[in-house]
Amino acid sequence: MLEIRNLSAGYSEIDVLHDISIQVEAGQFISIVGPNGAGKSTLFKTISGIVAASKGSITFEGQDLLKVAPAARAHLGIAHVPEGRQLFPSLTVLENLEMGAITDAGQRNWKDNLERIYTWLPILKERTQQYAGTLSGGEQQMLAIGRGLASSPKLLMLDEPSMGLAPTIADFVFDKLMEIRRDTHLTILLVEQRVAEALQSADRGYVLETGRVVLEGTSETLQADDRIRQAYLGM
Amino acid sequence: MLETLRSLRPFLFFAVGYLALAMFVTNSYYQLIMTLVLVWATFGLSWNMLSGYTGLVSFGHASFFGLGAFATVLAQVHLGISPWIMLPVAAGIGALAGVLIGLPTFRLRGHYFALSMLAYPLTLLYIFQWLGYPEISVPRVEEGAAYYMQFSEGRVYTVLAMILLGIVVLVTRHVERTRFGMSLIAIKQNESAAEAAGINTLAWKLRSIAVSGAIAGAVGSFYAVLILVITPLSVFGMLVSAQALTVAMFGGVASVWGPIIGAAFLIPVAETLHAELGSFLPGIQGVVYGLAIIGLIILAPEGIYWKIRDHLQKRKGKDALPTAVQESAAAEPSAPVTPVERPARELSEEIVLKVQDISKSFGGLKAVQNVSFQVNKGMILGIIGPNGAGKTTLFNLLNGFQMPDGGHVLVNGEDLVRRKPYELCRAGVGRTFQIMRPFKRMSVHDNVKVGAYVHAASEDEAEQITREALELVNLQDISQHIAGSITTKDLRLMELARALAGQPEILLLDETLAGLGSEESQDVVNVIRKLAETGKTIIIIEHTMQAMVQLVDRFLVLDHGELIVEGPPQEVIHNEKVIEAYLGKKWSAHA
Amino acid sequence: MTETQILIETVLQALAAGLFVGAIYGLMCAGLSLIFGIMRVINFAQGDFMMLGMYAVYFFLIVFGIQALVGNTVSPYIAVVAMAPLLYLFGWAIHRFLISQVTGIRTTGMEAEGHYAQLVLTLGIALVMHNGAMILFGPELVSVDTPLSSSAWVLGPLWGDGVLLFLNKARIVSAVISAAVVVGLWYVLKTSRLGKSLRAAADNPQASIYVGNDVDRSYRTAFALGTMITAMAGGLLTTNYPFHPFVGLEYVVLMYAGVVLGGIGSVIGAFWGGMTIGLIQQFSTIILPTQLQNATIFVIFLLIVILRPQGFFGRSVERT
Repeated sequence: MLEIRNLSAGYSEIDVLHDISIQVEAGQFISIVGPNGAGKSTLFKTISGIVAASKGSITFEGQDLLKVAPAARAHLGIAHVPEGRQLFPSLTVLENLEMGAITDAGQRNWKDNLERIYTWLPILKERTQQYAGTLSGGEQQMLAIGRGLASSPKLLMLDEPSMGLAPTIADFVFDKLMEIRRDTHLTILLVEQRVAEALQSADRGYVLETGRVVLEGTSETLQADDRIRQAYLGM
Repeated sequence: MLETLRSLRPFLFFAVGYLALAMFVTNSYYQLIMTLVLVWATFGLSWNMLSGYTGLVSFGHASFFGLGAFATVLAQVHLGISPWIMLPVAAGIGALAGVLIGLPTFRLRGHYFALSMLAYPLTLLYIFQWLGYPEISVPRVEEGAAYYMQFSEGRVYTVLAMILLGIVVLVTRHVERTRFGMSLIAIKQNESAAEAAGINTLAWKLRSIAVSGAIAGAVGSFYAVLILVITPLSVFGMLVSAQALTVAMFGGVASVWGPIIGAAFLIPVAETLHAELGSFLPGIQGVVYGLAIIGLIILAPEGIYWKIRDHLQKRKGKDALPTAVQESAAAEPSAPVTPVERPARELSEEIVLKVQDISKSFGGLKAVQNVSFQVNKGMILGIIGPNGAGKTTLFNLLNGFQMPDGGHVLVNGEDLVRRKPYELCRAGVGRTFQIMRPFKRMSVHDNVKVGAYVHAASEDEAEQITREALELVNLQDISQHIAGSITTKDLRLMELARALAGQPEILLLDETLAGLGSEESQDVVNVIRKLAETGKTIIIIEHTMQAMVQLVDRFLVLDHGELIVEGPPQEVIHNEKVIEAYLGKKWSAHA
Repeated sequence: MTETQILIETVLQALAAGLFVGAIYGLMCAGLSLIFGIMRVINFAQGDFMMLGMYAVYFFLIVFGIQALVGNTVSPYIAVVAMAPLLYLFGWAIHRFLISQVTGIRTTGMEAEGHYAQLVLTLGIALVMHNGAMILFGPELVSVDTPLSSSAWVLGPLWGDGVLLFLNKARIVSAVISAAVVVGLWYVLKTSRLGKSLRAAADNPQASIYVGNDVDRSYRTAFALGTMITAMAGGLLTTNYPFHPFVGLEYVVLMYAGVVLGGIGSVIGAFWGGMTIGLIQQFSTIILPTQLQNATIFVIFLLIVILRPQGFFGRSVERT
C-alpha cells in the first residue's frame, strides 16, 4: 500500500533522514520505534508533504506521492494524527471532526463515521460543543485520533500518541487503538518511543536511529534483539 | 580605530571620485540631484543603524528627520539661529526623540513594532499641521549668507553632504567593528540567544535608536537648508520613511555600502522621472519606490550588495573549502559502538549549582515539578528523559528564559532565581541551544567574539578570550571562514566556543550532539571532556545515549516533569523506572 | 437654550455620529481582521484597498450613469454591491501574484525574517497604489453626493424644547448596511464549510494540511474577502466623506487600532473595536480641534499596543 524507497529528507540543506526504505501492506500494523531525535516525526512529515524529500521515492497505492500536493494527500486516504495532537483549539470538538471529514470519502460516510467514532470514544460525544483547546491531554489525543478517522482513511498514521500523557491514560489510548483496529482492520503506521507497547501488537517493526533504519523485522524478532536496548540506553 | 580607518579606504576613493565628478556638473538641477543622492544615502544609513543591524523594521524614521528639519527652520525664522549650530542640535533632538520613542516601543516585536513606528511620524504630521505650519520656508539671507549655510554655488552643498555622509560612514564602520555592532547583530539573529550570551538587549537597542535618530535629525536639518521650503508632509510623510527603507533595502541592509548603492541607483531615477513627468504624473516618484520595493522583495530580498557578495563568496568559498559540505553528509551511520566503560572520576566537594524545588506549569501542564538537585564543580551532569519530559524547560528555568512558579536556583550560594538571562550569564551560567543559531554572515571568529564581550573590558581582551575559546574547541584553523559555510560539527563546536567565551562556570548544553554521526559526535565529546577537566561544570541534555553514557558523571532522569531517578550512568541505565520511561512498562516485564 | 442643554446636544450628537461612523469603521476592521487574523499578515496596503473601494464607487457612478436609471438616492449603494466582486478579484490577484510569494505555509515556521519580507512588500504595494491613484485619478478631493447625505431625521425636541438631534440619513443607511454585512460574514464563518476551513487554517496551518485542507487557497480566499470587505466599507464612507488618493494612510492605523482593540482573530471583536474607535474619534472632537482627530487615534493606537501587548501576543505565543 505504502512503499518508501531510499528516502532522504530534511530541513534546509541538512538531511535528517538517510536512505530509508519502509513497506506497508494493506491491513498491516507497522510500528516504527526509535529514541528521541531519530527522525520518526520527520518521516511522517515527509509522507504528509510538510518536509521535502531530497532523494528516493514514496508510492501510495501505486501513485507517486511526492508528486501530489501536500493538502491533496489526505484526499487519497492518508490520515496523519500528528505528534502533539495539533488540534484546532478555537474550533469545537464537532468542528474538529468535521474538518477531519473534508475529504470526499469523509463527506460520504460522515454520519456512519461520526457514530462509530462516538462509540469508540464516547468522551467526544459528551464534549461535542466544547472548544478543543479546553480539553485535557488524553481527550485531545482521542479527538486527534477521531479527526483522523473521520476522513475514512485507508492508512492511519499515528505519531507518538502517548507523548506527554500519564501512563494510565497512554495505556487507555493504546487499548482504544487496538479496539479500533480489531473493528476495522485499518492499515496503521505507528511511530512510538515506547517500544514494548508499539511492538506488542504490530505485524512488523522498524527501528530508526539517527535518521537511518538500523533494524527491521517481525515484532518477535525485534523484541528479542538486544540492539533496541542499545539504541535507547546506550548499553 | 586604526582598522576602522583602513577599512574606509574604498569609501575615500568613492568620495574623491564622486566629488570630482560633481565639479564638472554645472546644471544646478543635476547638482541638486547629486547632493540628494548623498542626503538619502546618509538617511538610509540612519535607518540601517537601527533596522539593518537589529532587524526591527522601522517605518517611522520620518519622525526624526522631520523634527530635525522643523527645528532648524523654526530656529532660523524665529530666533535667527544659524543652521551650523542647529545641525548638531537637530542631531541631539533626533537622539532624544529616538530614546523617547524607543523606550515604550521596544516592548513590541515584529509586526507591532513596525506598525507603531508608522504611527509616530503621522501623529507628528498632524500636530505640526495643527500648530499652523502648512508650509514654512527658510528666509533668504543677503548679508553673510555663508553663516546661514546658504550658498549660491550648488556644489558646496554636495561637498557638505559628502562630509556628512563620511562622518556617518565612519560611525557605522566603528559600530560594526566593536561590541556595539556585534551586539546588535546578535539581537537581530536571535534576541533570546543574545540575552543568554550576556547582552543587555534593551540597552543596546536604545543606544542604536539614539544614534540612528541623531543621524536622521542631522540629515533632516541639512535637507531643510538644501530644499529651503518644507511642509509637514514633505518631512513627516510616509514617503520619507519609505525612502530611507527603500534605499537601504535596495542596496543591502546591514552594510555601509547598501544605502549608498541604493541611493545612487534610485534617487536619480526617481528625481528625473519626477522632473520630466511630475507635472502630469504627480505620484511617479512613489510608484517607482513602490515598484522597486516589490521587485526587490520578490527577486533579491536582501539587496544588491549582498546578492553580489554572496555570489562572490560562493565562488571563492568553493575553491577554499572543497570538502566542507560533503563531510557532514558522509557521516557514518552510528553503528552501535562497543561502549567504553568510563571510570568514575574524583569530583570536587564544592557545590556550584543548587536547585531547590523548582516548578513550572503551562496552563494545566506541569512541565517541571519540584525538581531538586545539586552539581559539584567540574562535574558533567546529563539530563535525560523521553520527549516532553521537561528537559528544555528545566534549562530555560536555569538560565532565566522562563520564570519558575516556585523554587530556588543557587549559583555559588547566591539565589539567582527570577533574574534576567543576561544577568545569569554574567553570574556564570552559559548555554547553547537545541536549534543552532549561528550568525551566518559573520566569520567563525566574530561569532565567538560576540560571546566574549560579556566579561571583556576592552577590544583587546575580547580578542584574547576569543582566541582562547577557539583553541579550546580546535577551531583556530577555520576561524576566518564564514559561519554559513562550515559543517554541522564545526557549527556545534563554534556555539560551544561562543558560550565558552562568556567565561561561564556552568555550561548548559542543549542537544549538542544532535544531527552528528558517531565519529563527529566523538570529537565533540572529547572537547566537552577536556572542558570538564579544566574545571568547567557542564550540564547536558542529550538523546544519543551511547555518547552520554561515556561522557557524564551522573544522570538526572526526568519523566512528566518529575525527577524519577538520579545517579551514576551504569546504575541509571539499569534502573527499572528508567527502562520503563524509555521503552515502556511492558518492556521490563518482557525482558 | 441653557448651557447644559447645549452640552447634552453636543454629546448626543457625537454619540450618534460615533455609532454611525463606527459601524463603517467596524466593517473596515472586520475586513482587515480576516487578513490579519487568519493569515497573520500585516498589510499596510489595507488603507489603499479602502481607497480603491471609494474610487470604485465614484467611477461606477460616472461610467454607468445609473443615477439616471434608479435615482441618486440608492445608486451609491448599488455601486458598492456591484463593485464588490471586482474588488474581490483584485485582492485575489494581489495575493496570488505578490503576497503568496512571501507568505503561506512555507514561511509560517520562520520568525522575524519571513515577516520582514511581507511587511515591506505590502508597504511597496501601498506606495504604488496611492501614488498610482494620484496619477490616474488626480490629487483633488472628490465626493459622492446623494440626497441622503444632506438630509436628516430630527429627533426631539428632548429635555424641554432646546435639544434637537440630527441624524444624517446617509450615515444611518451606511451604518445599517455595514452591520448587516458583518453579521452575514460572521454567520458564514461560523457555520459554512468555508468558514470552518478558514478558522482551521488560522488555528493550525500544518494540521490543516494534514486533514486535506489547502491552506494556501484558504489564505487566498481570506485575503480576497478581506480586501473586498474593507473596500466596501470605503465605498459606504463616500456618501459623507470627500476623499483623495492618500486617504488610506489616515485609515490604516485606525483599522489596526480597531482590530487590536477587538482582539485578533475575531470578526465580531474587530467590528466592536472599530465601533469604539469611531466613538472615541467623535467624542474627541468635542474637546480637541478637528485637525487633531487623526492624531488622537494614532496616540490611542500607540497606547493600546504598548500598554497591553500581552493582549495580542497571547495568541501568537500559543501558536508556536
